[in-house]
Amino acid sequence: MNESLLPVVRKAILTVLHDTGRSAQAVESGHLLSTDIGLDSLDLAQTIVLLERELACDPFRSAGSSPTLRMRTVGDLVTLYEAALSAATLPPALDH
Amino acid sequence: MSSSATDFLSRLTDVPVANRLAAAIDLMAQAFPERTAIVEQAGSAQRRGISYGVLAANVKAVEQQLVDQRPRGVVARQREIDALVATVAACGRQQVPLAVVADDARDLVGALHDWAVLGDGLQLSVGTTGIGSQAGPRREDAFDSASAQVVVATSGTSGPPKLVEHSWDSLLAAARLSEQWRGLGWLMVYDATRWAGTQVWLQALLTAGTLVVPASRAPDCVARAIVEEDVSILPATPTLLRRLLTSAESGLLSKMKLARITLGGEAADAQLLAKTHAAFPGVKVTHVYATTELGEVFRVVDGRAGFPAEWLGKTLPGGVRLTTRRDGELLVQLSRDTAEVATGDLVERRDDRCEFTGRRSDVIVVGGAKVYPRRVEEILRGVSGIADARVYGLPSAITGELVAAQIVLADPLPAEATPESIRAAALTTCRTALEPHSTPRLLDFVKHLMVNTSGKIPRHSSRL
Repeated sequence: MNESLLPVVRKAILTVLHDTGRSAQAVESGHLLSTDIGLDSLDLAQTIVLLERELACDPFRSAGSSPTLRMRTVGDLVTLYEAALSAATLPPALDH
Repeated sequence: MSSSATDFLSRLTDVPVANRLAAAIDLMAQAFPERTAIVEQAGSAQRRGISYGVLAANVKAVEQQLVDQRPRGVVARQREIDALVATVAACGRQQVPLAVVADDARDLVGALHDWAVLGDGLQLSVGTTGIGSQAGPRREDAFDSASAQVVVATSGTSGPPKLVEHSWDSLLAAARLSEQWRGLGWLMVYDATRWAGTQVWLQALLTAGTLVVPASRAPDCVARAIVEEDVSILPATPTLLRRLLTSAESGLLSKMKLARITLGGEAADAQLLAKTHAAFPGVKVTHVYATTELGEVFRVVDGRAGFPAEWLGKTLPGGVRLTTRRDGELLVQLSRDTAEVATGDLVERRDDRCEFTGRRSDVIVVGGAKVYPRRVEEILRGVSGIADARVYGLPSAITGELVAAQIVLADPLPAEATPESIRAAALTTCRTALEPHSTPRLLDFVKHLMVNTSGKIPRHSSRL
């Protein structure tokens, strides 16, 4: 499961860069979202909406989950979505 | 029309206001019983005409029931417009309080649980209405039904619908009974139970006109109804007019003989007005500013967007006084002895005009900065290949909201354009013209825009 969502996250970030008139660049797990890739809060908000459409999941809104807002790197984002997706597949009784 | 009908309108002005609709229908039924009062399902194979003679008979039948049963009030619960008209006319003449309540406001009629109900069958049912049994305990802020003459529900564009009390005077205040309005064809695209709708059918039937109700709001159906039924007056929201102009078959558009377009419900922008004048040369465009609470406040007839800036701070003929709050919200005082009312509409001065920038409640807040969706929509509609656009706020955990847009592509597309090239052009145009937080972050292509029952664009959508 490790890094399996990286291509999905990468695609969303590249869409954001494209939509805002910036050129494509390498998006790797260890890259810092802000300084390496240059995403501001609006870019990040767009990324999250794009990922919600792709994965039908928003870790920032899922009931019961309070994502630790550690979102410095691309890898943090991948981990966040992987955790949210696996939590969503647990039976309700174990949801806490 | 014969001379007996020429003085028809002046005879009407002598009739007490509450009786006026029934009197107008009676006068027409006596002089021209076969004349069509209402066309339902216009523009379709199911077209059905209702004559003034039939309408007058229906009014009499309802009045007879009101006389026999003397209900405390009547809730008009009808889908067929001819049944609604008969109910309103009969209640007016019999001085029975009336509630005209649209579908989405039906929850509110708990406050009217002891009133009788009239449905499409025009059979009065008192007591076992089903309303009372669902009403539950009377809330403290429940509507005071005892003194009401006419009750109308607001459209709920900017909040949940609520019941608003009117008098026959205020319901008919805007109706024009002068000769130039007699015997015209009126298109009815509004919900007949809402304020804007009541104003259209009252105006049409008070002035010996024909009310044309299209079978649907699909642009081609509306266009067929206008052409086939000889409609000359088109009351519409800017959203509905824009749809007609951009999506109806052009052959039908050129056959229309519209004399007047009356816009209301939303602000009309300069772009739409220019398109309208280009499509219908010589048409008079009036923009009515009205709310369910205040009724008609003013109308602008010069065909330009907004209203003259010099109106601000002055008392207009008729006693209305317009001012703005510091944040640009328009305040209205109907007359010297009424309170000032905050309208929720934001205006901005541009040269000699005051133009509407949006509703206070439509404002999208992105990272603490305000975005006016109308402004973004105007820019998107200016992009070649885009027929229409709706801009709305998408909730975001990071920035509170995010600007999103739905786009209707022109059909056919401009030469060599593709949806992808138009999308790129739209984003580039927005980036050049707008602040980063105002630029849409999501652009979706849709076949047509969602339009609510009031014919307006809903602004706040739940998430996808």
